[in-house]
Amino acid sequence: MNGFLRGMWLIVTLDLKQRVRGVAWYALLGVFVLLVTIVTALLVLATNAWDAGGGGVFSTIVFFVLLLGTLVSPALSGNAINGERDAGTLATTQVTLITTPQLVVGKWIAAWLTALAFLAASLPFLVFAVALGHVSAATIAISTLVLAAELGVVAAIGVGVSGVLTRPLFSVTVTYLVVAALSIGTLIAFGLGGAAVQSTVRQTVVEVDWSQLDEQGEFAGEGPVPCAPPRVDTLQVPRFDYVWGFLAANPYVVVADAAPGSFDRFGNPRDLFGWIATGVRGAQHAPDLAPRIDQCTNFDSATGWAPTDFESPQEIYDRSVPSWFVGLTIHALLGAGALLWAVRRTEVPARRLPTGSRVA
Amino acid sequence: MSEAAGDAAGGITVEGVARSFGDVQAVRDASFSVAPGHVAGLIGPNGAGKTTLLLMLATLLVPDAGSIRVGGHDPVTEPREVRARIGWMPDALGSWPTLSVRDALVTNGRMYGMTTDAAAARAEELIELVDLAPLADRPTRVLSRGQKQRLSLARALVHDPAVLLLDEPASGLDPAARAALRELVRRLAGEGKTILVSSHVLSELEEMADAAVYLAGGVTAAADAVERAGRSTRQWRVRSLDSERLGAALGAAGFGEVARTDNLGAIVPLTSEADAAQLLAHLVGVGVPVSSFAPAVGDLEHVFLDLNRAGPPAATAADPAAPIPTAPDDTDSEPAPDPRGRTAASDPAGPDEGEARA
Repeated sequence: MNGFLRGMWLIVTLDLKQRVRGVAWYALLGVFVLLVTIVTALLVLATNAWDAGGGGVFSTIVFFVLLLGTLVSPALSGNAINGERDAGTLATTQVTLITTPQLVVGKWIAAWLTALAFLAASLPFLVFAVALGHVSAATIAISTLVLAAELGVVAAIGVGVSGVLTRPLFSVTVTYLVVAALSIGTLIAFGLGGAAVQSTVRQTVVEVDWSQLDEQGEFAGEGPVPCAPPRVDTLQVPRFDYVWGFLAANPYVVVADAAPGSFDRFGNPRDLFGWIATGVRGAQHAPDLAPRIDQCTNFDSATGWAPTDFESPQEIYDRSVPSWFVGLTIHALLGAGALLWAVRRTEVPARRLPTGSRVA
Repeated sequence: MSEAAGDAAGGITVEGVARSFGDVQAVRDASFSVAPGHVAGLIGPNGAGKTTLLLMLATLLVPDAGSIRVGGHDPVTEPREVRARIGWMPDALGSWPTLSVRDALVTNGRMYGMTTDAAAARAEELIELVDLAPLADRPTRVLSRGQKQRLSLARALVHDPAVLLLDEPASGLDPAARAALRELVRRLAGEGKTILVSSHVLSELEEMADAAVYLAGGVTAAADAVERAGRSTRQWRVRSLDSERLGAALGAAGFGEVARTDNLGAIVPLTSEADAAQLLAHLVGVGVPVSSFAPAVGDLEHVFLDLNRAGPPAATAADPAAPIPTAPDDTDSEPAPDPRGRTAASDPAGPDEGEARA
């Protein structure tokens, strides 16, 4: 095992050395820092962060790092193996005592570390957000770890695809498509899936019998306000509870859902994580197919409407099941599968070669 | 790491090897062996399967059929053992572009399990050996083609392998680097290493190889076909201080019809070395001032061209017992550069090929 690590680390350092010596990578980091600075400044202005705490700023920066990480990582990792084959340096590594698993895993770790550099560069801004207050240590630790894991998944998919497909341009594109499928595709599947599977709701509405009220909307007689006979409406509602699983595979949802919920005294989330998690968890619950809406029994003639009991976001959050570990497991399996496939396709001596490709 | 060199299990043995890519049959039936201490030239036209064959020897491709032993091990079942013993110089020139020459060699050494210090020391030696010292700290992307070729050679030698597989090692090299390569290859063979060199520049192989493997259409030429080709009529170049007397003497000797004269002298087709000796004696005897009398093309080229003219050799009759025209190790297998120029230094394959031709 020690031998494995040694050889793997050699590949990691070789890969990083080559990246770090390029100017492009530093330019990219510089642009990234600039963007995060702008985003942080705007967020502080937009969220009233000086009073409300840094939860909103912190969570948005984490999402921003995830966004840029998933945008940049495929370009950095998606040609890791086939790019070397094109450059003629893959075979010369494969005839050494470096094994194919060492090569593939080493390239993955290098790509991951490269993506993590973006997280490191955003560290000052995260510290700033924490300094604004109201960000729990658990939120900081868990969201950062899950973010790092998600960046690792994207790197693994990129390196894996680059080992499976022979053309670098094609493999980078495919990696972007996989990332897009997870980030946007899951949202589309969720929205369209929920809308396609609809249920008929028969809701019973009990209204006040307005005809017996006077012009001020007050009831002249004794006793409770007279109610109109119940009316039954039918309407179609989308069934998001059948398709909420799609959202579990969304990396943004995974990060949001993993962070421990943080709510203010009205039960409203303090950060973006909480809002997203509440939204996703709310979608787990089947709609009431035969609700009874009684606007009459508790009618308050002073206000002119009946108070209804709404669930606060915190209550929804608390009575639902967390899904982030399902999503993270799916991602981990996807990444590991891509790496394994890459190892199998890159193994030498090669028996079958993909058409149009060369070993060296 | 060169413990396998020189012992009976070393060297390269290939028997009945075939490999196809889809419906392209790159290698059909290759059989040959190279013993430790020898340099074998792998000769064949473009697309003959030379690189495919070398990739199979270098543990990168699995043959569809046949068996291979390199340094006493099977590249398919024991690739790690083979990799520790082979140095492979590919035909494609690849290098890590941003690493310096020295870093690249150190990294390569460490890929063979050397410590950083040992790899650094070895890199220093190799930089001297391939004459890249002035460029040692420059990134490899600034190297010219010939310099990359030398880096590639150094890379193949980094772990002091017992078997060297060189794919077109001299392409892109200047004459001085070619001479250095030739010397290096001969010296490494003298140290007991097994060396297989592919090239289609035959004059270059002529100068370093002491055996030859002819590959055409994915089939190695059988020994008898090589022998026959070696016996066939070949062109001899005769130079004289007095070209008119030479022309007259050739005409008088009955070569007027077949000999071609040009400003360098005359080209005369002769079927054997005995005929050549006879003609030379005759010319000298009648007083023609002969200054040079030598085959117009080298041995390898002659056999190569003749085999190609006959079409790809039949795969069937390959005799595994005598797979290649391995040169016997006797007297002057050292291809000492001949001052008269390369056409005269034509016989590195050993003198008894002359008997075969005669």
